Amino acid sequence: MSLSRTVRHAKAILTGFKYLFAGPRLTLMYPDDIQELPEGYRGMIEYDWDSCIKCSLCAMVCPADAMKMYVSKEESEREGKVVKRPGINYTRCIFCGFCVDICPTDSLRFTKVHDVAYYTYEEQIYPPAEFSKGVPRPLYLREPRKVRAVLDERRGIRYEPARS
Amino acid sequence: MISSGERELELLIGPQHPASGHMRLVAKVDGDVVVELRPNIGYVHRSVEKLAEVKKYLQIIPLVERPSLADTTANNLAYVMALEKLLGIEPPERAKYLRTLLAEINRIHSHLYGLGIHGVMIGSSTAYMWCFGDREPFLELAQELTGARLTYSYIIPGGVRRDLPAGLGERAERVLRYMENRMRDYFNLYFNNPVVRARLEGVGVLSRHDAINLGITGPNLRASGVAYDVRRAEPYAAYPELEFDIVTEEAGDSFARVMVRVREIVESMRIIRQVIRKIPEGPILHESYEKLIPPKLRESMKQRGMVKFPSVFANLRVPPGEAISRVEGGRGEVVFHIVSDGKLSPYRMRMVTPSFRNVILFEHLTRGVRVADIPAIYGSLDYFPPEADR
Repeated sequence: MSLSRTVRHAKAILTGFKYLFAGPRLTLMYPDDIQELPEGYRGMIEYDWDSCIKCSLCAMVCPADAMKMYVSKEESEREGKVVKRPGINYTRCIFCGFCVDICPTDSLRFTKVHDVAYYTYEEQIYPPAEFSKGVPRPLYLREPRKVRAVLDERRGIRYEPARS
Repeated sequence: MISSGERELELLIGPQHPASGHMRLVAKVDGDVVVELRPNIGYVHRSVEKLAEVKKYLQIIPLVERPSLADTTANNLAYVMALEKLLGIEPPERAKYLRTLLAEINRIHSHLYGLGIHGVMIGSSTAYMWCFGDREPFLELAQELTGARLTYSYIIPGGVRRDLPAGLGERAERVLRYMENRMRDYFNLYFNNPVVRARLEGVGVLSRHDAINLGITGPNLRASGVAYDVRRAEPYAAYPELEFDIVTEEAGDSFARVMVRVREIVESMRIIRQVIRKIPEGPILHESYEKLIPPKLRESMKQRGMVKFPSVFANLRVPPGEAISRVEGGRGEVVFHIVSDGKLSPYRMRMVTPSFRNVILFEHLTRGVRVADIPAIYGSLDYFPPEADR
Protein backbone atom coordinates (compact mmCIF):
# COMPACT_ATOMS: atom_id res chain seq x y z
CA MET A 1 0.00 0.00 0.00
CA SER A 2 2.54 2.56 1.07
CA LEU A 3 5.01 1.26 -1.49
CA SER A 4 2.51 1.78 -4.31
CA ARG A 5 1.89 5.25 -2.95
CA THR A 6 5.56 6.03 -3.02
CA VAL A 7 5.75 4.79 -6.58
CA ARG A 8 2.82 6.97 -7.58
CA HIS A 9 4.35 10.00 -5.86
CA ALA A 10 7.58 9.36 -7.74
CA LYS A 11 5.72 8.97 -11.04
CA ALA A 12 3.91 12.28 -10.52
CA ILE A 13 7.14 14.09 -9.73
CA LEU A 14 8.98 12.50 -12.65
CA THR A 15 6.17 13.41 -15.04
CA GLY A 16 6.24 16.98 -13.80
CA PHE A 17 10.00 17.03 -14.21
CA LYS A 18 9.73 15.72 -17.75
CA TYR A 19 7.34 18.53 -18.63
CA LEU A 20 9.78 21.11 -17.29
CA PHE A 21 11.95 20.45 -20.34
CA ALA A 22 9.73 18.87 -22.93
CA GLY A 23 6.03 18.90 -23.50
CA PRO A 24 3.41 20.69 -25.48
CA ARG A 25 3.55 24.47 -25.46
CA LEU A 26 0.23 25.72 -26.75
CA THR A 27 0.56 29.45 -26.20
CA LEU A 28 -0.11 31.70 -29.15
CA MET A 29 2.07 34.78 -28.68
CA TYR A 30 -0.67 37.24 -29.57
CA PRO A 31 -0.33 40.05 -30.75
CA ASP A 32 3.23 39.35 -31.93
CA ASP A 33 1.85 36.30 -33.66
CA ILE A 34 -1.63 36.26 -35.08
CA GLN A 35 -3.36 33.12 -36.13
CA GLU A 36 -4.56 32.62 -39.67
CA LEU A 37 -8.15 31.56 -39.25
CA PRO A 38 -9.85 28.74 -41.13
CA GLU A 39 -12.00 29.19 -44.21
CA GLY A 40 -15.52 30.20 -43.22
CA TYR A 41 -14.52 31.74 -39.90
CA ARG A 42 -17.37 33.89 -38.61
CA GLY A 43 -15.68 37.24 -38.10
CA MET A 44 -16.77 40.80 -38.82
CA ILE A 45 -19.07 41.25 -41.77
CA GLU A 46 -18.46 42.80 -45.17
CA TYR A 47 -21.24 44.51 -47.08
CA ASP A 48 -21.43 44.92 -50.84
CA TRP A 49 -23.43 48.02 -51.69
CA ASP A 50 -24.11 47.23 -55.35
CA SER A 51 -25.38 43.66 -55.19
CA CYS A 52 -27.71 44.29 -52.21
CA ILE A 53 -31.38 43.99 -53.16
CA LYS A 54 -32.59 45.64 -49.91
CA CYS A 55 -34.78 42.67 -48.98
CA SER A 56 -34.12 43.24 -45.23
CA LEU A 57 -33.96 39.51 -44.48
CA CYS A 58 -30.70 40.10 -42.58
CA ALA A 59 -32.38 42.52 -40.21
CA MET A 60 -35.34 40.18 -39.79
CA VAL A 61 -33.27 37.16 -38.87
CA CYS A 62 -30.74 38.92 -36.63
CA PRO A 63 -31.16 37.43 -33.13
CA ALA A 64 -29.46 40.32 -31.36
CA ASP A 65 -31.02 43.26 -33.24
CA ALA A 66 -27.53 44.23 -34.37
CA MET A 67 -28.48 44.46 -38.02
CA LYS A 68 -30.95 47.29 -38.72
CA MET A 69 -32.42 48.78 -41.85
CA TYR A 70 -31.63 52.49 -42.31
CA VAL A 71 -33.54 54.74 -44.68
CA SER A 72 -31.18 55.73 -47.46
CA LYS A 73 -32.07 59.40 -47.92
CA GLU A 74 -30.35 60.06 -51.20
CA GLU A 75 -31.71 56.93 -52.87
CA SER A 76 -35.20 57.49 -51.50
CA GLU A 77 -35.35 60.98 -52.99
CA ARG A 78 -34.00 59.79 -56.29
CA GLU A 79 -36.38 56.86 -56.62
CA GLY A 80 -39.37 58.58 -55.04
CA LYS A 81 -39.98 55.78 -52.53
CA VAL A 82 -38.53 54.63 -49.22
CA VAL A 83 -35.30 52.73 -49.81
CA LYS A 84 -33.71 50.98 -46.86
CA ARG A 85 -30.26 49.49 -46.49
CA PRO A 86 -28.69 47.47 -43.67
CA GLY A 87 -26.27 48.80 -41.10
CA ILE A 88 -24.64 46.95 -38.26
CA ASN A 89 -24.03 47.66 -34.61
CA TYR A 90 -21.00 45.73 -33.36
CA THR A 91 -21.84 46.39 -29.72
CA ARG A 92 -24.80 44.07 -30.21
CA CYS A 93 -23.51 41.62 -32.80
CA ILE A 94 -22.95 38.07 -31.54
CA PHE A 95 -21.26 36.79 -34.72
CA CYS A 96 -23.76 34.00 -35.32
CA GLY A 97 -23.59 34.70 -39.05
CA PHE A 98 -27.31 34.21 -39.64
CA CYS A 99 -27.45 37.42 -41.71
CA VAL A 100 -24.67 36.17 -43.98
CA ASP A 101 -26.31 32.80 -44.42
CA ILE A 102 -29.73 34.21 -45.24
CA CYS A 103 -28.52 36.90 -47.68
CA PRO A 104 -29.90 35.80 -51.06
CA THR A 105 -27.32 37.68 -53.12
CA ASP A 106 -24.19 37.05 -51.04
CA SER A 107 -23.96 40.79 -50.43
CA LEU A 108 -22.97 40.07 -46.85
CA ARG A 109 -19.83 38.03 -46.35
CA PHE A 110 -17.71 36.87 -43.47
CA THR A 111 -14.23 38.26 -43.03
CA LYS A 112 -11.64 36.78 -40.72
CA VAL A 113 -11.18 40.01 -38.80
CA HIS A 114 -12.27 39.73 -35.18
CA ASP A 115 -9.83 41.70 -33.08
CA VAL A 116 -10.62 45.37 -33.61
CA ALA A 117 -10.58 47.68 -30.60
CA TYR A 118 -12.63 50.88 -30.41
CA TYR A 119 -12.33 54.01 -28.34
CA THR A 120 -16.00 54.94 -28.29
CA TYR A 121 -19.37 53.29 -28.38
CA GLU A 122 -20.48 55.30 -31.42
CA GLU A 123 -17.59 54.10 -33.57
CA GLN A 124 -18.92 50.57 -33.36
CA ILE A 125 -22.17 51.45 -35.10
CA TYR A 126 -21.89 51.25 -38.86
CA PRO A 127 -24.70 52.83 -40.90
CA PRO A 128 -24.98 51.49 -44.47
CA ALA A 129 -22.51 53.93 -46.04
CA GLU A 130 -19.75 53.10 -43.55
CA PHE A 131 -20.73 49.45 -43.51
CA SER A 132 -20.05 49.16 -47.24
CA LYS A 133 -16.53 50.56 -46.85
CA GLY A 134 -15.31 47.24 -45.53
CA VAL A 135 -14.11 46.11 -42.14
CA PRO A 136 -11.43 48.08 -40.33
CA ARG A 137 -7.95 46.68 -40.18
CA PRO A 138 -6.82 46.06 -36.63
CA LEU A 139 -3.88 48.23 -35.59
CA TYR A 140 -0.79 46.56 -34.24
CA LEU A 141 2.22 48.28 -32.70
CA ARG A 142 4.55 46.03 -34.65
CA GLU A 143 3.66 44.18 -37.80
CA PRO A 144 2.60 40.77 -36.50
CA ARG A 145 3.82 37.45 -37.78
CA LYS A 146 1.08 35.37 -39.34
CA VAL A 147 0.99 31.85 -38.00
CA ARG A 148 -1.02 28.79 -38.83
CA ALA A 149 -2.28 26.31 -36.24
CA VAL A 150 -1.11 22.84 -37.19
CA LEU A 151 -2.78 20.01 -35.33
CA ASP A 152 -0.03 17.69 -34.31
CA GLU A 153 -0.01 14.17 -32.96
CA ARG A 154 2.82 14.83 -30.55
CA ARG A 155 2.32 18.43 -29.53
CA GLY A 156 -1.40 19.05 -29.92
CA ILE A 157 -1.15 22.42 -31.62
CA ARG A 158 1.94 23.77 -33.27
CA TYR A 159 1.99 27.35 -34.57
CA GLU A 160 3.93 27.60 -37.80
CA PRO A 161 4.66 30.72 -39.84
CA ALA A 162 2.02 30.89 -42.54
CA ARG A 163 3.03 30.86 -46.16
CA SER A 164 1.20 33.67 -47.85
CA MET B 1 -20.61 36.45 15.95
CA ILE B 2 -21.04 33.49 18.20
CA SER B 3 -22.71 34.03 21.53
CA SER B 4 -21.86 31.76 24.41
CA GLY B 5 -23.42 28.34 24.15
CA GLU B 6 -23.63 28.50 20.39
CA ARG B 7 -21.34 26.29 18.34
CA GLU B 8 -22.18 27.06 14.76
CA LEU B 9 -20.69 29.78 12.63
CA GLU B 10 -22.23 30.94 9.41
CA LEU B 11 -19.70 31.14 6.62
CA LEU B 12 -20.55 32.90 3.38
CA ILE B 13 -18.63 31.68 0.35
CA GLY B 14 -19.21 33.92 -2.65
CA PRO B 15 -20.72 35.33 -4.76
CA GLN B 16 -17.48 37.26 -5.25
CA HIS B 17 -15.25 34.36 -4.37
CA PRO B 18 -12.89 32.82 -6.89
CA ALA B 19 -14.00 29.28 -6.09
CA SER B 20 -17.72 29.86 -5.70
CA GLY B 21 -18.59 30.68 -9.27
CA HIS B 22 -21.56 32.94 -9.88
CA MET B 23 -23.33 31.78 -6.78
CA ARG B 24 -23.19 31.92 -3.01
CA LEU B 25 -22.70 29.02 -0.68
CA VAL B 26 -24.06 29.58 2.80
CA ALA B 27 -22.25 27.18 5.10
CA LYS B 28 -22.91 26.53 8.77
CA VAL B 29 -19.71 25.21 10.28
CA ASP B 30 -18.91 23.70 13.63
CA GLY B 31 -15.16 24.11 13.83
CA ASP B 32 -13.95 22.56 10.60
CA VAL B 33 -17.03 20.43 10.06
CA VAL B 34 -19.80 21.57 7.75
CA VAL B 35 -23.16 21.18 9.47
CA GLU B 36 -25.19 22.50 6.59
CA LEU B 37 -24.43 24.03 3.23
CA ARG B 38 -27.09 25.74 1.20
CA PRO B 39 -26.46 26.88 -2.35
CA ASN B 40 -27.86 30.34 -3.05
CA ILE B 41 -28.42 30.43 -6.78
CA GLY B 42 -29.92 32.85 -9.28
CA TYR B 43 -27.17 35.45 -9.55
CA VAL B 44 -26.83 34.96 -13.29
CA HIS B 45 -30.45 34.38 -14.19
CA ARG B 46 -31.13 35.87 -17.61
CA SER B 47 -34.66 34.76 -18.28
CA VAL B 48 -34.01 32.66 -21.34
CA GLU B 49 -37.46 31.11 -21.18
CA LYS B 50 -39.26 34.47 -21.10
CA LEU B 51 -37.03 35.96 -23.79
CA ALA B 52 -37.83 32.99 -26.01
CA GLU B 53 -41.46 34.05 -26.02
CA VAL B 54 -40.60 37.27 -27.87
CA LYS B 55 -37.88 35.92 -30.16
CA LYS B 56 -38.56 34.22 -33.44
CA TYR B 57 -37.86 30.50 -33.70
CA LEU B 58 -34.51 30.78 -35.43
CA GLN B 59 -33.36 33.59 -33.16
CA ILE B 60 -33.73 31.31 -30.15
CA ILE B 61 -30.87 29.10 -31.34
CA PRO B 62 -28.09 31.46 -30.22
CA LEU B 63 -30.10 32.32 -27.12
CA VAL B 64 -30.31 28.79 -25.71
CA GLU B 65 -26.58 28.32 -26.30
CA ARG B 66 -25.60 31.17 -24.02
CA PRO B 67 -26.42 29.73 -20.58
CA SER B 68 -24.02 26.81 -20.77
CA LEU B 69 -21.16 28.25 -22.70
CA ALA B 70 -18.89 25.24 -22.37
CA ASP B 71 -21.57 22.86 -23.60
CA THR B 72 -23.43 24.76 -26.30
CA THR B 73 -24.14 21.94 -28.74
CA ALA B 74 -26.34 20.00 -26.33
CA ASN B 75 -28.72 22.94 -25.94
CA ASN B 76 -28.61 23.80 -29.62
CA LEU B 77 -29.35 20.21 -30.59
CA ALA B 78 -32.11 19.65 -28.05
CA TYR B 79 -33.89 22.87 -29.03
CA VAL B 80 -33.69 22.13 -32.74
CA MET B 81 -34.85 18.54 -32.21
CA ALA B 82 -37.98 19.78 -30.44
CA LEU B 83 -38.51 22.30 -33.22
CA GLU B 84 -38.15 19.61 -35.87
CA LYS B 85 -40.74 17.47 -34.12
CA LEU B 86 -43.19 20.37 -34.40
CA LEU B 87 -42.27 21.01 -38.01
CA GLY B 88 -42.51 17.31 -38.79
CA ILE B 89 -39.18 17.08 -40.59
CA GLU B 90 -36.28 14.69 -40.22
CA PRO B 91 -32.73 15.84 -41.08
CA PRO B 92 -30.76 13.95 -43.74
CA GLU B 93 -28.37 11.19 -42.63
CA ARG B 94 -25.19 13.15 -43.23
CA ALA B 95 -26.48 16.03 -41.11
CA LYS B 96 -27.21 13.59 -38.29
CA TYR B 97 -23.63 12.35 -38.34
CA LEU B 98 -22.29 15.91 -38.38
CA ARG B 99 -24.48 16.76 -35.39
CA THR B 100 -23.08 13.76 -33.56
CA LEU B 101 -19.54 14.74 -34.46
CA LEU B 102 -19.91 18.23 -33.04
CA ALA B 103 -21.77 16.95 -29.98
CA GLU B 104 -18.91 14.59 -29.14
CA ILE B 105 -16.17 17.16 -29.75
CA ASN B 106 -18.17 19.42 -27.49
CA ARG B 107 -18.54 16.73 -24.83
CA ILE B 108 -14.77 16.25 -24.73
CA HIS B 109 -13.94 19.92 -24.33
CA SER B 110 -16.77 20.41 -21.87
CA HIS B 111 -15.41 17.57 -19.72
CA LEU B 112 -11.89 18.97 -19.95
CA TYR B 113 -13.28 22.31 -18.82
CA GLY B 114 -14.93 20.70 -15.82
CA LEU B 115 -11.87 18.64 -14.93
CA GLY B 116 -9.65 21.70 -15.21
CA ILE B 117 -11.82 23.83 -12.94
CA HIS B 118 -11.99 20.98 -10.46
CA GLY B 119 -8.21 20.71 -10.58
CA VAL B 120 -7.63 24.32 -9.68
CA MET B 121 -10.31 24.15 -6.98
CA ILE B 122 -8.39 21.46 -5.14
CA GLY B 123 -5.14 23.30 -5.67
CA SER B 124 -3.61 21.65 -8.71
CA SER B 125 -3.04 24.50 -11.10
CA THR B 126 -1.12 22.12 -13.36
CA ALA B 127 -4.25 20.08 -14.01
CA TYR B 128 -6.08 23.30 -14.77
CA MET B 129 -3.46 24.42 -17.29
CA TRP B 130 -3.27 21.01 -18.91
CA CYS B 131 -7.01 20.59 -19.30
CA PHE B 132 -7.52 24.08 -20.64
CA GLY B 133 -4.55 23.69 -22.96
CA ASP B 134 -5.81 20.39 -24.29
CA ARG B 135 -9.25 21.83 -24.94
CA GLU B 136 -7.57 23.99 -27.54
CA PRO B 137 -6.99 21.30 -30.25
CA PHE B 138 -10.65 20.29 -29.89
CA LEU B 139 -11.81 23.91 -30.10
CA GLU B 140 -9.66 24.23 -33.20
CA LEU B 141 -11.45 21.28 -34.79
CA ALA B 142 -14.86 22.67 -33.88
CA GLN B 143 -13.86 26.10 -35.18
CA GLU B 144 -12.89 24.62 -38.49
CA LEU B 145 -16.20 22.82 -38.74
CA THR B 146 -18.49 25.65 -37.58
CA GLY B 147 -16.59 28.93 -37.85
CA ALA B 148 -16.73 29.74 -34.14
CA ARG B 149 -14.89 28.60 -31.03
CA LEU B 150 -17.78 28.02 -28.64
CA THR B 151 -21.03 29.59 -29.76
CA TYR B 152 -21.44 27.34 -32.75
CA SER B 153 -25.16 27.85 -33.62
CA TYR B 154 -24.34 25.02 -35.98
CA ILE B 155 -27.53 23.00 -35.89
CA ILE B 156 -30.53 24.47 -37.70
CA PRO B 157 -33.98 23.03 -38.38
CA GLY B 158 -33.60 20.43 -41.11
CA GLY B 159 -29.86 19.98 -40.94
CA VAL B 160 -26.58 21.69 -40.18
CA ARG B 161 -24.93 24.84 -41.47
CA ARG B 162 -21.60 23.57 -42.74
CA ASP B 163 -20.37 20.44 -44.42
CA LEU B 164 -17.31 18.54 -43.23
CA PRO B 165 -14.23 20.48 -44.42
CA ALA B 166 -11.79 18.47 -46.55
CA GLY B 167 -9.17 16.75 -44.45
CA LEU B 168 -10.86 17.37 -41.13
CA GLY B 169 -11.11 13.64 -40.46
CA GLU B 170 -7.38 13.24 -40.75
CA ARG B 171 -6.70 16.23 -38.52
CA ALA B 172 -9.21 14.95 -35.97
CA GLU B 173 -7.38 11.62 -35.93
CA ARG B 174 -4.13 13.42 -35.08
CA VAL B 175 -5.81 15.26 -32.23
CA LEU B 176 -7.31 12.03 -30.88
CA ARG B 177 -3.91 10.29 -30.94
CA TYR B 178 -2.39 13.27 -29.16
CA MET B 179 -5.05 13.12 -26.46
CA GLU B 180 -4.61 9.37 -26.00
CA ASN B 181 -0.88 9.83 -25.42
CA ARG B 182 -1.50 12.69 -23.05
CA MET B 183 -3.97 10.63 -21.02
CA ARG B 184 -1.09 8.52 -19.66
CA ASP B 185 0.62 11.59 -18.29
CA TYR B 186 -2.66 12.88 -16.88
CA PHE B 187 -2.91 9.69 -14.85
CA ASN B 188 0.71 9.81 -13.72
CA LEU B 189 0.66 13.42 -12.72
CA TYR B 190 -2.88 13.97 -11.55
CA PHE B 191 -5.45 11.18 -11.36
CA ASN B 192 -3.12 8.61 -9.77
CA ASN B 193 -1.35 11.21 -7.69
CA PRO B 194 -1.74 10.15 -4.02
CA VAL B 195 -2.44 13.76 -3.02
CA VAL B 196 -5.35 13.96 -5.47
CA ARG B 197 -6.65 10.55 -4.41
CA ALA B 198 -6.53 11.59 -0.75
CA ARG B 199 -8.55 14.71 -1.53
CA LEU B 200 -11.19 12.94 -3.62
CA GLU B 201 -11.60 9.31 -2.62
CA GLY B 202 -14.40 8.69 -0.19
CA VAL B 203 -15.38 12.39 -0.27
CA GLY B 204 -18.97 13.32 -1.05
CA VAL B 205 -20.29 9.82 -1.51
CA LEU B 206 -23.62 9.65 -3.33
CA SER B 207 -25.36 6.31 -3.02
CA ARG B 208 -27.12 4.73 -5.96
CA HIS B 209 -30.43 4.95 -4.12
CA ASP B 210 -30.06 8.67 -3.34
CA ALA B 211 -28.87 9.47 -6.85
CA ILE B 212 -32.05 8.03 -8.31
CA ASN B 213 -34.35 9.54 -5.71
CA LEU B 214 -32.89 13.03 -6.05
CA GLY B 215 -33.20 12.94 -9.83
CA ILE B 216 -29.51 13.42 -10.45
CA THR B 217 -28.42 13.34 -14.06
CA GLY B 218 -25.41 12.87 -16.29
CA PRO B 219 -21.93 11.77 -15.18
CA ASN B 220 -22.87 12.41 -11.54
CA LEU B 221 -25.60 9.77 -11.82
CA ARG B 222 -23.41 7.30 -13.67
CA ALA B 223 -20.68 7.66 -11.04
CA SER B 224 -23.12 6.14 -8.55
CA GLY B 225 -23.54 3.01 -10.62
CA VAL B 226 -26.65 3.88 -12.62
CA ALA B 227 -26.13 3.12 -16.29
CA TYR B 228 -28.47 5.77 -17.66
CA ASP B 229 -27.64 7.77 -20.73
CA VAL B 230 -30.14 9.48 -23.03
CA ARG B 231 -28.00 8.52 -26.02
CA ARG B 232 -28.93 4.93 -25.22
CA ALA B 233 -32.31 5.37 -23.51
CA GLU B 234 -33.82 7.47 -26.28
CA PRO B 235 -31.33 7.49 -29.16
CA TYR B 236 -31.18 10.55 -31.40
CA ALA B 237 -28.98 11.87 -34.22
CA ALA B 238 -26.61 9.12 -35.40
CA TYR B 239 -26.25 7.36 -32.04
CA PRO B 240 -28.40 4.32 -32.93
CA GLU B 241 -25.83 3.38 -35.57
CA LEU B 242 -22.74 3.89 -33.45
CA GLU B 243 -21.08 1.64 -30.93
CA PHE B 244 -20.25 3.04 -27.54
CA ASP B 245 -20.40 2.00 -23.91
CA ILE B 246 -22.12 3.79 -21.10
CA VAL B 247 -19.44 4.62 -18.58
CA THR B 248 -20.29 3.88 -14.97
CA GLU B 249 -18.41 3.82 -11.68
CA GLU B 250 -19.57 2.21 -8.48
CA ALA B 251 -18.00 4.30 -5.71
CA GLY B 252 -20.15 7.43 -6.08
CA ASP B 253 -17.49 9.67 -4.53
CA SER B 254 -15.77 12.73 -5.98
CA PHE B 255 -13.09 10.59 -7.57
CA ALA B 256 -15.65 8.34 -9.27
CA ARG B 257 -17.32 11.41 -10.78
CA VAL B 258 -13.96 12.56 -12.12
CA MET B 259 -13.25 9.10 -13.50
CA VAL B 260 -16.58 8.92 -15.32
CA ARG B 261 -15.68 12.14 -17.14
CA VAL B 262 -12.21 10.91 -18.00
CA ARG B 263 -13.50 7.61 -19.34
CA GLU B 264 -16.26 9.40 -21.25
CA ILE B 265 -13.60 11.42 -23.05
CA VAL B 266 -12.11 8.14 -24.23
CA GLU B 267 -15.56 6.89 -25.23
CA SER B 268 -16.28 10.11 -27.14
CA MET B 269 -13.05 9.73 -29.04
CA ARG B 270 -14.23 6.28 -30.07
CA ILE B 271 -17.49 7.79 -31.33
CA ILE B 272 -15.66 10.52 -33.29
CA ARG B 273 -13.56 7.87 -35.07
CA GLN B 274 -16.68 5.94 -36.03
CA VAL B 275 -18.45 9.07 -37.26
CA ILE B 276 -15.53 9.99 -39.49
CA ARG B 277 -15.31 6.46 -40.85
CA LYS B 278 -19.02 5.92 -41.40
CA ILE B 279 -20.32 9.35 -42.43
CA PRO B 280 -22.52 8.91 -45.51
CA GLU B 281 -22.50 11.18 -48.53
CA GLY B 282 -25.54 13.29 -49.26
CA PRO B 283 -27.20 16.61 -48.54
CA ILE B 284 -26.87 18.36 -45.19
CA LEU B 285 -30.13 20.29 -45.37
CA HIS B 286 -33.64 18.88 -45.64
CA GLU B 287 -34.91 18.88 -49.23
CA SER B 288 -38.05 20.88 -48.42
CA TYR B 289 -35.77 23.77 -47.39
CA GLU B 290 -33.13 23.18 -50.02
CA LYS B 291 -35.62 23.56 -52.86
CA LEU B 292 -36.59 27.01 -51.55
CA ILE B 293 -33.10 28.34 -52.16
CA PRO B 294 -32.61 30.03 -55.58
CA PRO B 295 -30.87 27.61 -58.00
CA LYS B 296 -27.78 29.74 -58.55
CA LEU B 297 -27.24 30.06 -54.82
CA ARG B 298 -27.89 26.36 -54.32
CA GLU B 299 -25.02 25.52 -56.66
CA SER B 300 -22.51 27.80 -54.98
CA MET B 301 -23.68 26.61 -51.57
CA LYS B 302 -22.98 23.01 -52.49
CA GLN B 303 -19.58 23.92 -53.86
CA ARG B 304 -18.51 25.75 -50.74
CA GLY B 305 -20.17 23.31 -48.36
CA MET B 306 -21.87 26.17 -46.53
CA VAL B 307 -25.64 26.20 -46.27
CA LYS B 308 -27.61 29.27 -47.28
CA PHE B 309 -30.84 29.79 -45.37
CA PRO B 310 -34.09 29.81 -47.31
CA SER B 311 -35.92 33.09 -46.75
CA VAL B 312 -38.66 31.33 -44.74
CA PHE B 313 -36.14 31.02 -41.92
CA ALA B 314 -36.47 34.74 -41.18
CA ASN B 315 -40.09 34.24 -40.17
CA LEU B 316 -40.35 30.54 -39.52
CA ARG B 317 -43.93 29.56 -38.79
CA VAL B 318 -44.41 26.44 -36.70
CA PRO B 319 -47.69 24.49 -36.60
CA PRO B 320 -49.53 24.63 -33.27
CA GLY B 321 -48.68 21.83 -30.87
CA GLU B 322 -46.24 20.68 -28.25
CA ALA B 323 -42.94 18.88 -28.48
CA ILE B 324 -40.41 17.59 -26.00
CA SER B 325 -36.88 16.53 -26.77
CA ARG B 326 -34.06 15.15 -24.69
CA VAL B 327 -30.33 15.18 -25.31
CA GLU B 328 -27.39 13.90 -23.29
CA GLY B 329 -25.13 16.91 -22.88
CA GLY B 330 -21.72 16.96 -21.25
CA ARG B 331 -23.17 17.62 -17.82
CA GLY B 332 -26.29 15.52 -18.16
CA GLU B 333 -29.74 15.46 -19.63
CA VAL B 334 -31.00 18.58 -21.41
CA VAL B 335 -34.76 18.77 -21.94
CA PHE B 336 -36.65 21.21 -24.12
CA HIS B 337 -40.39 21.61 -24.17
CA ILE B 338 -41.85 23.93 -26.78
CA VAL B 339 -45.50 24.93 -26.92
CA SER B 340 -46.44 26.55 -30.20
CA ASP B 341 -49.66 28.38 -30.99
CA GLY B 342 -48.82 28.80 -34.66
CA LYS B 343 -47.32 32.27 -34.32
CA LEU B 344 -43.78 33.42 -35.02
CA SER B 345 -42.56 32.84 -31.47
CA PRO B 346 -43.21 29.95 -29.10
CA TYR B 347 -46.12 30.38 -26.73
CA ARG B 348 -43.94 28.88 -24.04
CA MET B 349 -40.51 27.31 -23.99
CA ARG B 350 -39.25 25.27 -21.09
CA MET B 351 -35.57 24.54 -20.80
CA VAL B 352 -34.35 22.04 -18.21
CA THR B 353 -30.60 22.02 -17.77
CA PRO B 354 -28.56 19.34 -16.00
CA SER B 355 -26.85 21.75 -13.62
CA PHE B 356 -30.18 22.80 -12.19
CA ARG B 357 -31.04 19.21 -11.45
CA ASN B 358 -27.67 18.55 -9.85
CA VAL B 359 -27.56 21.64 -7.63
CA ILE B 360 -29.37 19.79 -4.85
CA LEU B 361 -26.21 17.74 -4.35
CA PHE B 362 -24.51 20.70 -2.69
CA GLU B 363 -26.86 20.35 0.22
CA HIS B 364 -26.99 16.58 0.14
CA LEU B 365 -23.32 15.68 -0.13
CA THR B 366 -21.78 18.22 2.20
CA ARG B 367 -23.31 17.27 5.53
CA GLY B 368 -20.52 16.43 7.95
CA VAL B 369 -17.63 17.02 5.56
CA ARG B 370 -14.63 19.26 6.26
CA VAL B 371 -14.58 22.82 4.92
CA ALA B 372 -11.70 21.88 2.61
CA ASP B 373 -13.88 19.17 1.08
CA ILE B 374 -16.37 21.75 -0.22
CA PRO B 375 -14.29 22.60 -3.33
CA ALA B 376 -13.43 18.93 -3.83
CA ILE B 377 -17.14 18.12 -3.99
CA TYR B 378 -18.19 21.28 -5.85
CA GLY B 379 -15.69 20.73 -8.63
CA SER B 380 -16.52 17.08 -9.02
CA LEU B 381 -20.16 17.96 -9.76
CA ASP B 382 -19.10 20.04 -12.78
CA TYR B 383 -21.76 22.51 -11.73
CA PHE B 384 -22.06 25.55 -13.97
CA PRO B 385 -24.09 28.37 -12.36
CA PRO B 386 -25.24 30.18 -15.54
CA GLU B 387 -26.55 26.90 -16.88
CA ALA B 388 -28.59 26.26 -13.74
CA ASP B 389 -29.91 29.84 -13.54
CA ARG B 390 -30.64 30.09 -17.26
